[in-house]
Amino acid sequence: MSNSKNEVAESGAKVRRRMPDVAPLLGFLILLTIFFTVTSEYFLDVDNFKNIFVALAVTGVVCVPGTMLMIAGQVDLSVGSAAAVSGMILGNVVNSYGIANGLLAVLVFGLVIGAVNGFFVTVIGVNSLITTLGTLATLYGIALLIGNGQTLMMKNFEWLGTAQPAGIPLPIIIFFVIAVVGIVVLRRTRFGRSLYAIGSNPNAARVVGIRSNRILFATFVLSGLSSALAGAILCSQLSAGDPNAARGLELEVITAIVLGGASLAGGRGTMWGTIIGLTTIGVLNNGLILLDVPTFWQRVAQGLMLILAVSFDATRERLAAKRR
Amino acid sequence: MSNELVSLQDIRKSFSGVEVLHGVDLTLGAGEVLALLGENGAGKSTLVKILAGDIEPTSGSIDIRGTKVAKLDVYQARQLGVRMIFQELNDAPALTVAENIFLGQWPHSGPFVGWNEMAEKAKAVLDRLEVDIPVDAIAGQLRVGERQLLEIARALTQDTKVLVLDEPTAALSNVEVERLFSVMDQLREEGVGMIYITHRLDEVARVADRVQVLRDGSSVLTVDAKKASREDLVSAMLGHASEKNARPELAQTSETAVQVSGLTSFAEFQNVSFTVNRGEVLALFGKIGSGTSEICESLFGLRAITAGSVEVFGKEYKTKGPAHSADQGIGYLPADRQRLGSFPVRSVAENLAVRSWKRMGKFGFVNRLLEHQAFNRWAEALRIVSRGSTQNISTLSGGNQQKVLLARWFEAGVNILLLVEPTRGVDVGARRDIYEIIRKQAKESGMAVIVATSDYEEVVLLADRAFVMSRGEVVSELTGNSVEASKLIAAAS
Repeated sequence: MSNSKNEVAESGAKVRRRMPDVAPLLGFLILLTIFFTVTSEYFLDVDNFKNIFVALAVTGVVCVPGTMLMIAGQVDLSVGSAAAVSGMILGNVVNSYGIANGLLAVLVFGLVIGAVNGFFVTVIGVNSLITTLGTLATLYGIALLIGNGQTLMMKNFEWLGTAQPAGIPLPIIIFFVIAVVGIVVLRRTRFGRSLYAIGSNPNAARVVGIRSNRILFATFVLSGLSSALAGAILCSQLSAGDPNAARGLELEVITAIVLGGASLAGGRGTMWGTIIGLTTIGVLNNGLILLDVPTFWQRVAQGLMLILAVSFDATRERLAAKRR
Repeated sequence: MSNELVSLQDIRKSFSGVEVLHGVDLTLGAGEVLALLGENGAGKSTLVKILAGDIEPTSGSIDIRGTKVAKLDVYQARQLGVRMIFQELNDAPALTVAENIFLGQWPHSGPFVGWNEMAEKAKAVLDRLEVDIPVDAIAGQLRVGERQLLEIARALTQDTKVLVLDEPTAALSNVEVERLFSVMDQLREEGVGMIYITHRLDEVARVADRVQVLRDGSSVLTVDAKKASREDLVSAMLGHASEKNARPELAQTSETAVQVSGLTSFAEFQNVSFTVNRGEVLALFGKIGSGTSEICESLFGLRAITAGSVEVFGKEYKTKGPAHSADQGIGYLPADRQRLGSFPVRSVAENLAVRSWKRMGKFGFVNRLLEHQAFNRWAEALRIVSRGSTQNISTLSGGNQQKVLLARWFEAGVNILLLVEPTRGVDVGARRDIYEIIRKQAKESGMAVIVATSDYEEVVLLADRAFVMSRGEVVSELTGNSVEASKLIAAAS
């Protein structure tokens, strides 16, 4: 059929169009991999790659709705604090009421915090950066309040973070499933296409009859839910609810998304790009550990990468504007 | 003339090889108001920008207050007392009235602003204009007309000898217009020379001493304002341009699609009634601010309706906002394509299909192949020039972008299409294309089209019928072959 021919031609065009966005990052990731393979004998190893992706899974889960928000021109900074609070909720509830109730409580919490963020952004009309900066601070305070600043130890909840069905760690499976859903939603659904439209031109989205507020609200709820899930995985891995466990998660999430080519101005970005960005961060962190670089340097490296990624985005925008 | 303030002689100006001013003369005396008339593109703006030092003429001589200026720049023009007031406000809405009057030139001692001195001086200027606005009010909370007076007050604090007003009344109410005119009368007493650019012929006799008409870059008529008849001015503005505009073959329709009765939205438009049939193109013609585009906004749910009713296919229709209207089969093409129309970093296929996703898949999914097929289909039918369905829309020319946005609503299968200034920023060739496309689509699909426009030529070439609006009210209706440029302009003025 000529249709399939069209599709081939179309996907070819798509690759060409998307190449400039992700290609430099992919090149950087490959160079990084070669570098660590040469410098550390432990790097290129199945178990080591399991480690890399387990370490990424928590961030990755949050990155999926995070990418959707960024594409729509929004940002959620409260993810780290929300994850911390869900860990603290689990630490409290699991020991007295069991795991099922604990997970239910966390689910409800994720819905509520997502709805709160969504409410302030879409109904009240506060800028999402400011709204979620506020909830970031508030939730961090609440996480400290719940345990009175202490870590809450817990038992029998290791499975979520450490089980390995078919030899693959459960967090990696969870991340994989959510990422695939994210890819499909962004590329193939009306919801996903609307996010691009909203980010590209919010005024035109309104005039063309897209119900922007509903869509953004739903995406903030997804972000809240994913933060809660991330918090639960983290809590399970640590066997404890730690108010400081997810500090800086928002930074890692935004770095991965921006590295992956999503535009801070909205309208552009892909789930694939975010996954490559995320992997770059994971490989860098892992390699630095293997080379015995003190862990403090991880933060330095990540901060520099964020600046680099944003500069890259800005340079690309400027060049694009010049070409026009 | 001994008290001559400005004398421009044989001014020529070319932009990239194309001459837009062909040797224009202009004189202005002290205490004189010169009305400058002409259609869009006649060269009025270019001429006054040359006077303000904004644009350098290709040749010609400029004389301001007896000084022959070889090369006038903005700074020198200000030194000589030339000030311009534009249609759009150039103020700081968050600051006070006094601060705005002295914007950028606040009275100061050292680094400190002299608040008391500024308030006193501002009060003095406003008193001189007989304007009663408290100097500590916030500019953004005033009416547009009052803010425009602040700009005049600012010009007065700066020793103005020549004041150029570029369509200052477009956004003003009748009361505000009258106040502006009385301020102008007063400035005339004080010996200020004014050049007043307008589209409104009725204002000429009220405010001007002399009228000068430009057409296609030449000065075609200069007369005493009291002696100029409206007919003379219209024919001078139009020349014979109107004769080449052939009317399209009119639609033969009878089934009513939209019936609007007594529609009102605050002061934007009042008591507007009309019907549009299926397959018919109705034009709402009037200058910007006359209420034509506002009617389309209200029908689509972007602007509140304060009175009146709308019936769509015989049923009362109350919109709940743009998303609801679009779902009901109403389409809306805004005048501002960049701000409200296109999705700039997205592909042409997406831009076209955005209203049709629901049809292009089930359960919330979108079959993107259908997006691209829809684009290819319309690209062929409407002759959209592009490198293919994945091209970013912002890299297309204005005319091609507009065709994509029209196809957006055609593909969505709307019954009623509201178009606001559909060919603004579109080159002449693509314009004819777009008119043809709209008429063809209306005829074939039975879609009813309402076009809000300030371009009389557009009305002649596109519409079956026209309603002419002025200051929020319908002033006349033209049907069939009585839709003529001269009648439209005379009625809208």
